Amino acid sequence: MKAPVWDLPTRLFHWLLVALVGFSWWSAENGEIDLHVWSGLAIMALLVFRLLWGIFGASTARFANFVRGPRALSAYLRDMKGWRPIGHTPLGALSVLAMLAAIAAQVGLGLFSVDDDGLSEGPLAHLVSLDAAEKAADLHDAWFDVVLVLVLVHVAAILFFRLFLGKKLTGPMITGKAELEPGIEPLRPAKWWAALLCLIAAVAFTRWIVAGAPPFGG
Amino acid sequence: MRFLALTAIALLAACGEPAQDNEQAAANRSGDTAQAASSTVAAAAAKPLARDAALKLMHQRHEDMEKIGDATKAVSRTLKTDSPDLAVIRSSAATMAKLAPQVPSWFPPGTGPDVGKTEAKAQIWQKPQDFAAKSRAFRDAAAAFDAAARSGDMAAIKARFADLGKSCKACHDLYREEH
Repeated sequence: MKAPVWDLPTRLFHWLLVALVGFSWWSAENGEIDLHVWSGLAIMALLVFRLLWGIFGASTARFANFVRGPRALSAYLRDMKGWRPIGHTPLGALSVLAMLAAIAAQVGLGLFSVDDDGLSEGPLAHLVSLDAAEKAADLHDAWFDVVLVLVLVHVAAILFFRLFLGKKLTGPMITGKAELEPGIEPLRPAKWWAALLCLIAAVAFTRWIVAGAPPFGG
Repeated sequence: MRFLALTAIALLAACGEPAQDNEQAAANRSGDTAQAASSTVAAAAAKPLARDAALKLMHQRHEDMEKIGDATKAVSRTLKTDSPDLAVIRSSAATMAKLAPQVPSWFPPGTGPDVGKTEAKAQIWQKPQDFAAKSRAFRDAAAAFDAAARSGDMAAIKARFADLGKSCKACHDLYREEH
């Protein structure tokens, strides 16, 4: 019997993030700096939303439910096939946290970056010295490799589950549903208006950053 | 066939004597607007630089482009403040107006990506006329911005600075490698 495991906001977050990280990459490689800045800001809004959804969202989206300690992790690693609950595995949770942190760092660096020509810059670049903004741009450039490696690890893990553990993970992230074994706790969804409030907060925060973070800047 | 071989030998021999090319490059570098206009043609007609001379020129080209970039950043930054610093704008505009006419002389044949590390694309030497036209547009935009900076008219400064940025981008979009 198929049952919900990922709610719609979590899935939308996931696939929009995939699309925007891809678009950010493309726009950076092709000198579309203005589009790149907007893409990065959209990613920031997504990240803020995801942080809030990790507190107020559905059960499998909540950090408190999927971030586990070293004991749970080592127990999971000893018996990966025996893992039954829905949602992120203890190891997958680390991957999720690493990707969120790496992309957040990338967005943060971008906010303070100035481009080579001095024609475009992140909305907070004027708060730091030119030297610092150039350093941020260099780091922003280099850090993308870290993001790429984490994404590759993520994709490799999905392939590993498919080939060696016989688990298909991509389908559920699209449809939201997966086979649920008897006795496993089902998804506890969140209220739709909670998602709306989280979205409003995320957009409001992003607008504040775009405005140069008044009253500190802007 | 024999003619081709002789030509090849002559060209190879010429490569061993970079002195002339260096002088040419140096002359172009110090050139003013009028000189730079003719140097585009001269550069296109010149034979490829010897490797040492080419690498030296490419390094200097990078340094000078960075100076233009730094000047742009300084202007962009002060224009964003409530009270833009006219002294910063004027000195940056002067730097750019001085360097912009030299740009064509920075790209003689033999200073492309096949020779050394550079973001300059090979297309520069495949479309020399378009590249020259874009260099002229940059030179003119830099001169217009310099004039606006001297006048001190803030509205004109902002408008000419926006034009200048577009002329940078027009060329970079086509002829600079994004990394």
